[in-house]
Amino acid sequence: MPQLGKLALAIALILAAYSIVANIYGARRHLPDFVVSARHAVWAMCAMVTIAVVVLWIALLRSDFSLEYVAAYSSTTLPRVYKITSLWGGQQGSLLFWTWLLSIFTSIAAFQNRRRNPEIAPYALAVLAGVAIFFLLMLNFVTRPFDLLATIPAEGSDLNPLLQNYWMAIHPPSLYTGYVSATVPFAFGAAALISGKLDDGWIRSTRRWAIFSWFFLTLGNMFGARWAYEVLGWGGYWAWDPVENAAFMPWLVMTAYLHSVMIQERKDMLKVWNLSLIGLAFGLTLFGTFITRSGVISSVHSFTQSGLGPYFLSFLITVTLAYTALLIFRSKQLRSPAEFESYLSREAAFLFNNLMLVGIAFAVFWGTIFPVLSEAVRGVKITVGPPFFNRVNGPLALGLVFLMGIGPLIAWRRTTTSNLIRSFAAPVAIGVATGIVAAASGLRQWYVLTAFSLAAFVLGTVLVEFRRGMNARRHMVAEPRAKALVNLVAKNNRRYGGYIIHVGAIVAFVGIVGSSFFRTEVKKSVHVGDSFTIGSYTLRFQGLDQADTPHLESATARVQVLSDDGREITVMSPAKLFFKRPQQPATKVAIRSTPASDLYVVLAGIDDDGQTATFEVFLTPLVFWLWAGGLMMVLGTVIVMWPNVRERAAIATALSRSTTDAGELADAAPGGD
Amino acid sequence: MIVVAIGYLIFSSIRTTSEYYLTVPEVAARQAELGGQAIRVAGRVKPGNIGWDPNSLTLKFEIAPIPDLDASGAPVKPVLASDPVSFRVVAAGEPKPDMFAPGRDVIVEGKLGADGAIVATQVMTSCPSKYKPKQSQ
Repeated sequence: MPQLGKLALAIALILAAYSIVANIYGARRHLPDFVVSARHAVWAMCAMVTIAVVVLWIALLRSDFSLEYVAAYSSTTLPRVYKITSLWGGQQGSLLFWTWLLSIFTSIAAFQNRRRNPEIAPYALAVLAGVAIFFLLMLNFVTRPFDLLATIPAEGSDLNPLLQNYWMAIHPPSLYTGYVSATVPFAFGAAALISGKLDDGWIRSTRRWAIFSWFFLTLGNMFGARWAYEVLGWGGYWAWDPVENAAFMPWLVMTAYLHSVMIQERKDMLKVWNLSLIGLAFGLTLFGTFITRSGVISSVHSFTQSGLGPYFLSFLITVTLAYTALLIFRSKQLRSPAEFESYLSREAAFLFNNLMLVGIAFAVFWGTIFPVLSEAVRGVKITVGPPFFNRVNGPLALGLVFLMGIGPLIAWRRTTTSNLIRSFAAPVAIGVATGIVAAASGLRQWYVLTAFSLAAFVLGTVLVEFRRGMNARRHMVAEPRAKALVNLVAKNNRRYGGYIIHVGAIVAFVGIVGSSFFRTEVKKSVHVGDSFTIGSYTLRFQGLDQADTPHLESATARVQVLSDDGREITVMSPAKLFFKRPQQPATKVAIRSTPASDLYVVLAGIDDDGQTATFEVFLTPLVFWLWAGGLMMVLGTVIVMWPNVRERAAIATALSRSTTDAGELADAAPGGD
Repeated sequence: MIVVAIGYLIFSSIRTTSEYYLTVPEVAARQAELGGQAIRVAGRVKPGNIGWDPNSLTLKFEIAPIPDLDASGAPVKPVLASDPVSFRVVAAGEPKPDMFAPGRDVIVEGKLGADGAIVATQVMTSCPSKYKPKQSQ
């Protein structure tokens, strides 16, 4: 069986190489047969990688410890669902999983473009195959998933206990999907540069891919934060660890890209900027992989030096140089005819929003690589911790929130003062009123007051927009309010879905500000029967329950939670787990979540006699809203991605025309607002 | 202008928030200049001499250098209890990390006191990475 996986990966490598050659040759010489054959090679490559994935999955499920990978990341006692997730639990497997996603996305892109974009699609597929080649080279020669062990162990060393929870099933696949699908718009951008067809065709063809990628990057980051919150037991959800930063930076740049392409579609401006952003987004996904695998930057995750670092760095440098060279080579053709007319315009607001997002990404990047730089320059490693990231990104986040309120309401090109007053009077009033109420209720930190006022201001602008749209509808067709609202969103899903994403982002922002500024913490060792207080809660330690299974031992504390009038609210059960293979302790946090605040109880230690336990308890206000906001962003993105009637009609018309004139199809990709 | 502002924000913040990230031998070499400076020290928990008082949540141990690895990833020499360079670490008010154990790699955040002991505000155990190729126990 393992031989089959090995063989499949070898064939996949050859097919990827062939598809590059055939695509480029076919496109340059205008030989459609070669392009078709290259497309088939892509599909065959996908089939081969799929076989390799299936082989590894079967080996994991059958606990075939003759495979080094299975022996290292699984065991006979590991629950079945984690045997499946072990596919991406280790390095070789996660690279294989990555390659699999890439080959699937490449195949879908090949299918979508079998009649569209004849000038750029072959080059884009060649670029995608080129990326696949890099990963396949790694899998074939450097970090092989199908290596066999000389002596077959009776038992595997099991998956890291921290990875044995359901987040493991959803967080890495989401993040990988987000990372890998960013390759498709990048490939089309590169193809536009290679072919010289530099209109916004590449953007239109890959808009859904970009949103799809952003959707999964959002999910991946949210899941990661939630995983850290529920599992790691330090009461927070984000530590500005290099590995977290690596996932955050592509998200920031993709967010900037999704906004700035709107300007190119509308105004034919910012061509170089958009091509640079998508190149940057792709580069950051590689950079993320590089820093997590190379050990160059020490992370609390402390990834072992695996020898992959130099390969990733070389690939990253090659891609960056080649892409920059292409940009310079085409710079004359990329000059935009249009120019900015006024700083009081939507274009300008979008441009500033881009500067903020890229600025945050740059600050995060700088903070992440600073230890390496300072060591190279001054010979001593200097790290910057969370204080640095919070200090820099705090003000930038405020700027971003402010622009979120301005951008959607301000007019394209230029705007007049009376226009400004009409649009913004109500939201500004809402924002100011919120600030006054917050100050009156005792809040004094200027950052919190500004943040809450701005958040209310943005919510106000969205409200105004919805109201305006609904009234316009009700003016034209007599509809009840609720129906008008639903139709408004359904008929203009890109626009109003976008607003819902904004609302989600604001809600999450409020959650982040609240949880960062007002978290309280109590650490206490108590005997059975004793109690202590945090905020308005009293916690009583009632006793320990011990349990022992073949897989793990556990000690669960019973903690009674009382309100300040002595009423029992609930009983919480934080636990300490001790995994038997590998022998490793872990913490099971107990969380009681309410919209106002989360009570977060960690059993930090137990005395040998089982009579005394150490608890670490956090009371975190508003953190609930971070997750709620994340959910709203997800919902909004689904609305944005939903194919709407008008677009479908446009595509259908385009398709029926294309039977007579195939060349026009490239321009008929869905438009919209 | 915005670019300049962001740049200024980054550089001024780096000045005020940076801390030295050092290995145990580096701390030994620079002991004189580190007094009062925020440091982060990477090292390994030296076996023996570990004290944990659950009532005051005080953890005391000694931190020793992490041995160099040879080409195959095996330590050139194991950590010996008689290793010459090591520092006493006192961490008060923090629960003992789950993974804390003799021989485990840790990152200690704190300051170097005048008596040559590190007063830690935080002790982090580096979790065995999910990409760790093999168990080393």
